Amino acid sequence: MFKRKGKSNLILNYVILLLLVCLALGPILVLFFNSLKSFNDLGTNPIGLPRVVQIENYVNAWVQGEFATTLTNSLIYVVFTVAGVLVLGGMAAYSLARLDPPGDNLYLVYMLTLSTIPFWLYVIPLFIMWRSLGLLDTRAGLIIMYIAFNSPFAIFLLRSFLMSLSRDFEDAARVDGANEWQVMTRVVIPIMWPAFLTVGLVVGLGVWSEFQAALIFLQRDELMPVTTSYYNFTQRFGRDWSLTSAGAVMMIAPVLMLFLALQRQFVTGLTQGGIKL
Amino acid sequence: MHTTLKRLIPLLLVLGLLVSACAPVAGPQSGEGEPGKVQITFWQGTSESADCIIDVAVNSFNEQSDTIEVVAEKKANMMDAVRPALAAGAGPDIVPTHGPSFVAEFALADQLMPLDDLADQFGWEEMFVPWALNLGRVQGTLYSLPQELETMVLFYNRTVFEENGWEPPTTMDELEALSAQIQEAGIIPFAGGAADAIDNNEFFFTEFVNKIAGPEKVYQALKGEISWTDPDFVTAIETLNRMFQAGYWMGSPENFLVTDFSIARAAFATGEAAMTMEGTWIYDSLVGEMFTEDSEHGNDWDWVPMPSLTGDPMFNIGTGSTQSINRNSEHPEAAAEFLTHYNSAEIQSRLLVECQYATAPIRLDPAQLEGVEPRMAHLLSEFAKASDEGNYGYTTWSFFPPKTNQVIYEEIEKVWVGDMTPEEYMAAVDEAFQEELAAGETLVIPDR
Amino acid sequence: MNETDELQTTSPTAADGTTVTQHKRPWLHSRRFRRQIMPWLFIAPITLLHLVVVVGPSVVGMYYSLTEWSGIGKAEFVGLDNFRELFFEDRNFLLALRHNLMWLAFFLTVPFVMALAVATLLAQVRVGSMTIRTAFFIPYVLPSVVVASIWRMLLDPRLGFGAALEDWGIKGLAYPYLGDKNTALAAIAFVDNWHWWGFLMILFLTAMQSIPSDLYDAAKIDGANRWQEFLHVTLPGIRPTVFFMLMMTAIWSFLVFDYVWILTHGGPAGSSEMLATYLYKQAFQRFEAGYGAAIGITMSAIAGIMATIFVFFRRRGWDV
Repeated sequence: MFKRKGKSNLILNYVILLLLVCLALGPILVLFFNSLKSFNDLGTNPIGLPRVVQIENYVNAWVQGEFATTLTNSLIYVVFTVAGVLVLGGMAAYSLARLDPPGDNLYLVYMLTLSTIPFWLYVIPLFIMWRSLGLLDTRAGLIIMYIAFNSPFAIFLLRSFLMSLSRDFEDAARVDGANEWQVMTRVVIPIMWPAFLTVGLVVGLGVWSEFQAALIFLQRDELMPVTTSYYNFTQRFGRDWSLTSAGAVMMIAPVLMLFLALQRQFVTGLTQGGIKL
Repeated sequence: MHTTLKRLIPLLLVLGLLVSACAPVAGPQSGEGEPGKVQITFWQGTSESADCIIDVAVNSFNEQSDTIEVVAEKKANMMDAVRPALAAGAGPDIVPTHGPSFVAEFALADQLMPLDDLADQFGWEEMFVPWALNLGRVQGTLYSLPQELETMVLFYNRTVFEENGWEPPTTMDELEALSAQIQEAGIIPFAGGAADAIDNNEFFFTEFVNKIAGPEKVYQALKGEISWTDPDFVTAIETLNRMFQAGYWMGSPENFLVTDFSIARAAFATGEAAMTMEGTWIYDSLVGEMFTEDSEHGNDWDWVPMPSLTGDPMFNIGTGSTQSINRNSEHPEAAAEFLTHYNSAEIQSRLLVECQYATAPIRLDPAQLEGVEPRMAHLLSEFAKASDEGNYGYTTWSFFPPKTNQVIYEEIEKVWVGDMTPEEYMAAVDEAFQEELAAGETLVIPDR
Repeated sequence: MNETDELQTTSPTAADGTTVTQHKRPWLHSRRFRRQIMPWLFIAPITLLHLVVVVGPSVVGMYYSLTEWSGIGKAEFVGLDNFRELFFEDRNFLLALRHNLMWLAFFLTVPFVMALAVATLLAQVRVGSMTIRTAFFIPYVLPSVVVASIWRMLLDPRLGFGAALEDWGIKGLAYPYLGDKNTALAAIAFVDNWHWWGFLMILFLTAMQSIPSDLYDAAKIDGANRWQEFLHVTLPGIRPTVFFMLMMTAIWSFLVFDYVWILTHGGPAGSSEMLATYLYKQAFQRFEAGYGAAIGITMSAIAGIMATIFVFFRRRGWDV
């Protein structure tokens, strides 16, 4: 940890930090204010406090954006994608960090290369394949895609977290005759929770914000994620910023609450692992 | 802290499982229909009038038909979703596109049903205005039905005009002089912006080139008889650019380029800007949100034809979208039956009156315009009269081949920001056009 | 890695799995299986998923990059024509490539400098440290669609912060930043960075906090000033994290799409066109899916080269 002498020059630190805090939070406050303004109020008074609080914006946005449906859908996509990434990616990360598969360096390069491929390059062939597999316009189809998209980063993070952990417990378990599966499930996973949380949050955020794949691979309204509710507002011919802002607030509120509730653990996940190759 | 997590994550998982297990039961399934009825899928965008359109056009059909059920699906990115869907041999029975040039692409890729036989069977030749129906032909075969008959006019803020004693202009010179006068009064002459949809830059080429060089010349160029580098075309773009550089649109080219529709329309409605060059498609927004009875600004609007060089009123015609039948549709006749219903005079006039949605270019009885806002009704009848007399120009999105149109609306920004001269711009347009002309990819241009 | 080998060979079960004779499946404990096959069984499921979702379709996409293809219907094989056109004839492509390189230069410097500087400042304060940290992190958790539209609102000359400051008497900041060809790209980079640098800062801060404090004490004994401390203790201590994030930034910056698309669609006049937006336009708006695929392949190739450079450095011992 850092150790510092006096508090004399910390004032400058605070001034700079607080200015940057304003930069980080100010725009979000403006968004919140705008979500409470009427259409006309916003046109003449875009930054300041609302003159009249118009809470109906939320009701309208909720109904018009069909948020009840889309929020539920997004929750499903996030939960299953995160679960899939943690289970499948975690297994791979465990193997890479602990079991030294021959050719693991090559595999890392493969994963890196994988994350360089732009979605728009392969979307049409993928779409054709998804249709022939009957995965088009299904939740499972989208979740499988999301797991694949998100796993490279997750594998990297989990792997480096694991590498930073001591192997003593695992070796002890091996001495006791546990096989690798048992070592992983009974020893490694229980100490991996902070890393799982961190990866879960990063992946969950990615899924929560995703809309390009969803818009293309889903057709039925009742499967659409929350981003499409929001996206629809922004795509409207006569965009209504107050309605759009209310939609945005509803979309970010669950994320913010979850993050604020879990942020300590989240930071622990980052602290213990760090990320490195 | 680990124990909190251990409790939380399984909880989330269970919650997710529960929700996903219930959802398919609760949600409607578009795959299953009423027994004994043939199903037709129909996509509709998510504009404000979408529900109204579905109610008027689709529900009315389903009520009267014993054999066919049309399933309407609202899709936010309808036009983006069509392509991969068709590529995979899927997609709706009724295929929507932005316009004739898209139809050509799909038709050449063998994704659309030829419609000539169905047109005979259902009498579409009699229903539609000939020039518009012909736009749906690709190499002689009919592939699409035109939708949303459109034209552009000059809308002006009547209240602002009256307060300042300005008269709506009829010639281009008057327009330019008036713009300078408006700007001097501290008001923005034109509201406008294409930040959210660059293709709307096509409005400017459409209006300035047709109105300054004249539709005859545009016709000749579209037929390949003259080049787009003709001085009259260059003059048109020079005029446009001069007005742009003067800041007549939103104050400066930069301001125009960052403005989107909602802001532009609000600027026009509130009187911050005095005029806007817009199309019939803003009808629903015009009466529904820009100038409503409880609008605080208290302004009113009116329109005149977009000024021309000579001052003679003239309208550029176009269609806003098309409908086709999917090559892989299992029930093309049922789809055609629905299209016949959809494009009938009765349904189309209801779409216009009840949903403020532009009609298809079909033959409408003036009596069927009853209930349309009077100024808009006047616009539509003037427009119909002028185009019946052959006094019309060409919107780029309906009559120009796709790549040429793309150059038209993308490269024009380079003129506005000073990366290109009007001559270079028209040369780029000509190059794209000659390439498409040589490849036989130009559209059917009705004789004048 | 070598350490692992030693551990495993000295581990009794690995050394001689067959001694557990009562086991029904002795091959499960064979040395070859345990050392070479089983590790891959752990990796196989996710890899299979990747192969199906990303790699397979990308290989098809690679084939299409050699064809003239509208995105539907038949593709006509044209060899390397698309690539020739890209590199030798298409000025818009070269412009987009240049924008991506400028983007890369920006994101390899500005967020890193900001994150390092602020992490250093933040590491020194105690009171409110967690709150400040959270505040910096919040922009990162917002979805890109929301971030982009907040800033579209704020950067608007008539609705944004410039207009508000004008009301308070501060003139000259109400400018259409996204509408000027000279500022559009910088404005988008600013917005993306607004959402990104806090995350980077947290990563650096947490890495800094795991540096043993006796290293700082030693530096102090040696009479190092703050700057020397930062240079000789902090920076080497967080090098692996910095290195990893530099690499990921280099790779990701060639894929940037969201922010550009939502903020400017690549405009005005192509002044913020990126490879990804250009690819999208070619494939989905211009019916040139074959040509679009060629752009995609080029993007991957460049990012792949970046990754290889980093992996090369790593093997040269840059990493711990």
